[in-house]
Amino acid sequence: MSERVIDILLESFPKILIPGLLRTIPLTVLAFAFGLVIAVIVAMIQYANIKVLKEVCRFYVWVIRGTPLLVQLFVIFYGLPGVGILIDPFPAAVLVFAVNEGAYASETIRAAMEAVPHGQMEAGLCVGMSWWQIMRRIVLPQAFRTAFPTLGNEMISMLKDTSLAANITVTEMFMTTQRINAKYYLPLALYLEVGFIYLMFSTILTRLQHYGEKKLAAYGKR
Amino acid sequence: MAILTANGIKKSFGDTQVLRGIDLEVEKGEVISILGPSGGGKTTFLRCLNFLEQADSGTLTFLDETVELAKANKKQIRAIRMHTGFVFQNYNLFLNKTALENVTEGLITARKMKKEEAVKKAEAALLKVGLSDKADAYPNQLSGGQQQRVAIARALATDPAILYFDEPTSALDPELTKEVLAVMRDLAKEGMTMVVVTHEVGFARQISTKAVFMENGVVVEAGAAPEFFDAPKTERTKEFLRSMSSKDV
Repeated sequence: MSERVIDILLESFPKILIPGLLRTIPLTVLAFAFGLVIAVIVAMIQYANIKVLKEVCRFYVWVIRGTPLLVQLFVIFYGLPGVGILIDPFPAAVLVFAVNEGAYASETIRAAMEAVPHGQMEAGLCVGMSWWQIMRRIVLPQAFRTAFPTLGNEMISMLKDTSLAANITVTEMFMTTQRINAKYYLPLALYLEVGFIYLMFSTILTRLQHYGEKKLAAYGKR
Repeated sequence: MAILTANGIKKSFGDTQVLRGIDLEVEKGEVISILGPSGGGKTTFLRCLNFLEQADSGTLTFLDETVELAKANKKQIRAIRMHTGFVFQNYNLFLNKTALENVTEGLITARKMKKEEAVKKAEAALLKVGLSDKADAYPNQLSGGQQQRVAIARALATDPAILYFDEPTSALDPELTKEVLAVMRDLAKEGMTMVVVTHEVGFARQISTKAVFMENGVVVEAGAAPEFFDAPKTERTKEFLRSMSSKDV
């Protein structure tokens, strides 16, 4: 590797890392958090079998899972202005990623809720607890434990997917790399470099996931 | 004085009529065992009394309040559940809570009891079932018999006017069955009002004040305890008791 390449790589490293810390990570964390809220609500509606709402949730999951993320980004960012709705790039990305994550995670959480033995719901009712109390204190904590590893995977997957936000002008890591490359034309080295930074981020997330799994070790299991 | 009177309880699942009009009267301090072959409707009947199943028709008078089972509203259902305890065949402990927390949970959330007070109550209940030393154990660290005793403590701690047991020992081996039956025997002695669905005929004979034989969704025979077991009036009851006691421990 020539000295020039090394110099450019060293110089560009912080230039890529900073949008990573300021855009990629916040986008991932925000979208994941909102996505989780959506997912829990959607999962609960399906678990509780609420008639019309359940169909609405099914439709939502069907549409979101059945269409590409990139298309969803374009519809929201480039499409909606056509009907007078303008959203800034970053919030638009958060919105799309959250809605997307909500659909996938709702299935994960719903399955985890259904894996909680139903007898505990009956036992809760018999000691006078309300459906909500049982949901909040008994069912959801157990479901969350079951869903945790899968949710961790989904978060790592989303971290990488945020590179798609470059397409709607969010200056996250990937777009920044593209810009640097346009200046120096070193595609191999620069794209390997951004790949390495993604790898760093996802490694940290993986570690956090393992740590969390240990902390949440099954109740009373050694 | 009857604390519970059930009248004409009917329940169908699809085309199958599981309960064809069941009546039951329970007086304070009585221990009533409900016997009968599997699929006879015993469990469904018990679950209807606590609204775990909604009966199609029939009335329930409990602590001087009468409700129509099919039309009971949330408030009525909750009021009844607040004064009854239910022990399940599969224990149904809260798996994310310790033994102690299993008992305090309903006291704190449903009864708004202060934590210290709830813990005191729970400790007393666990002492009663002989599990004080397991207060901090999670359900999957306990044997089936221990889990069922925690479940009994959970039901007891709410000071129920009546305790329902739905085949409480069916999932247990003979050894563990003994420890659960011993706890139930103590409760019966103390005058706890209990309705017990069971296959343990020998045990039922010992603790019951009254027994009911149910089959195909109807009460075939009901009567005061020693006579019911020693001199059943119907042929069918006789035959059933004979077949059951032959495998009694």
